[in-house]
Amino acid sequence: MSDAAIILDSLEKWFPPALGGWRAFVQPFAFPTLPALRGVSLQVKQGEAVALLGVNGAGKTTLLRILATLLLPTRGNASLAGYDTVKEPAAVRRQIGYHAGSDLGFYARLTGRQNLQFFGRLNHLAKKFCADRIADLGERLGLQNNLDRQVRTLSSGTIQRLSLLRALLHRPKILLLDEPTRSLDAIAAADFRHFLKTEALRAQGMSLLFASHTLQEIEFLADRVAVLDEGKLVAFDTPAALRGAAASASLEMAFAKLTGRRIFSPEEQLSS
Amino acid sequence: MMRLLRDLFVFFQRDLRIASTYRSPFLFETIEALFGAATFYYVARFVDSPALREALPRGKTYFAYSLVGLVFFDYLHAAMDTFDRSLQEARDTGTLEPLLVTQVSLPLILIGSAFYPFVASTLRIVVYLGWATAFFDFPLRGGNWLGVLAVLLATLLAFCGFGVLSAAYLLLFKRGNPVKWFILGVSSIVGGMLFPVDVLPPWLQVIAYLNPVTYALDAMRAVLLDGAGIASVLRSLLILLAFAGVLLPSSMLVFSWVLRRTKATGTLTHS
Repeated sequence: MSDAAIILDSLEKWFPPALGGWRAFVQPFAFPTLPALRGVSLQVKQGEAVALLGVNGAGKTTLLRILATLLLPTRGNASLAGYDTVKEPAAVRRQIGYHAGSDLGFYARLTGRQNLQFFGRLNHLAKKFCADRIADLGERLGLQNNLDRQVRTLSSGTIQRLSLLRALLHRPKILLLDEPTRSLDAIAAADFRHFLKTEALRAQGMSLLFASHTLQEIEFLADRVAVLDEGKLVAFDTPAALRGAAASASLEMAFAKLTGRRIFSPEEQLSS
Repeated sequence: MMRLLRDLFVFFQRDLRIASTYRSPFLFETIEALFGAATFYYVARFVDSPALREALPRGKTYFAYSLVGLVFFDYLHAAMDTFDRSLQEARDTGTLEPLLVTQVSLPLILIGSAFYPFVASTLRIVVYLGWATAFFDFPLRGGNWLGVLAVLLATLLAFCGFGVLSAAYLLLFKRGNPVKWFILGVSSIVGGMLFPVDVLPPWLQVIAYLNPVTYALDAMRAVLLDGAGIASVLRSLLILLAFAGVLLPSSMLVFSWVLRRTKATGTLTHS
């Protein structure tokens, strides 16, 4: 039995092109010709935090959506806590807390608490446990004054915090977070990172796979970083090792070297 | 079983809470039902003639006949509409994705989301018939209520299959609903909503008797207006259950295939 929380084995995902106009009539079912993931293999250990780093379109969200059972891989396998995402999706969903990175996904006319109770009940949480957990996590995420307001009156950052609370509500073993602090202000983002590291990862031993463009966040949270480029895994190591391998002072420069891209240095940015 | 019921109740509670945040629709719908019943009453009085009475089943007024047709047809409409509407709403509001990563399956999400609309449609029937009885002499007292319940359940089961098929279509093609269009469009002509199917030309009558709406309306009129026992509508009930027996499993198979396909193409949550 492997001690890995997540195993990806030669995972591939190809999408069909989105056809419009007359071609959509002539060819309603197009073949998958657009690659999103190309043979990605990696393992996330139990209790480990792994960051997915890549430019837009590198395949980070696709990877997270496959693990959340929202997408089927074209080839290869993915498993979480020993359950295959294709053959045992219901068992996989019992293990995960998923945050899609969007500030949609709530019933606008219900309050935050009512929304969370609804999703908690669909995860088969007992009423009392669910209520206590909402109150506890609400306080930790600074939501206590917003839980009883209708979601339509909340800011996008607050809705995002609600979404993070929802992902944590049922104490999942594995957290899949897509850009978890995207809409948060600097203070809320720092608080959330701290909460993730001390509570979710250290105290509760959750495993974390998250996509982020915030390198400071990756440095703070990630034990290892998976660098994706055009659907391929180009590097997978600790932040320090990635910097060392690319002979770079910062993760930003290492990322640029590993993906063959050029980043303007601070001096160049100032002089331009 | 308890968990299933609990899950269904959770959806019902959600929709009731959402509905309660809108203050006026129930009041307006109640008043609208009065206008609807009044319109049919006066139209029925206007068109009443010996020829019409001859064409109708014995002892039925055209008002009672057409009102049951209209109200019950509305119910069938809800049965077919509710699945794809709940799916579309979930997709448009972005709640579909979070729902899909919970521990309930998509078919259960659809069934759960249909729960409240069915209850609301049933209440609408009650309101319509209530106004019609109170003000327009609708013959409600002789109804066989157990029979009404049996016909409602059998109809619901038969039409849920169509509802699941139209949700599958929506999931795959994103817009349009040919299943609903075909069934409801054809049924409004050949389903016996406003006139008996006997007045149709023979070839249309063949279509009428291949349509579950015809059996549902026949049975409902018999139990509600004539107080007929279950035995007298047993044939219609069995035909409706046969439709359900074929449509429910086959629509679930189609839906499963579509779900798999949209997960493969990445279009599950696209609109």
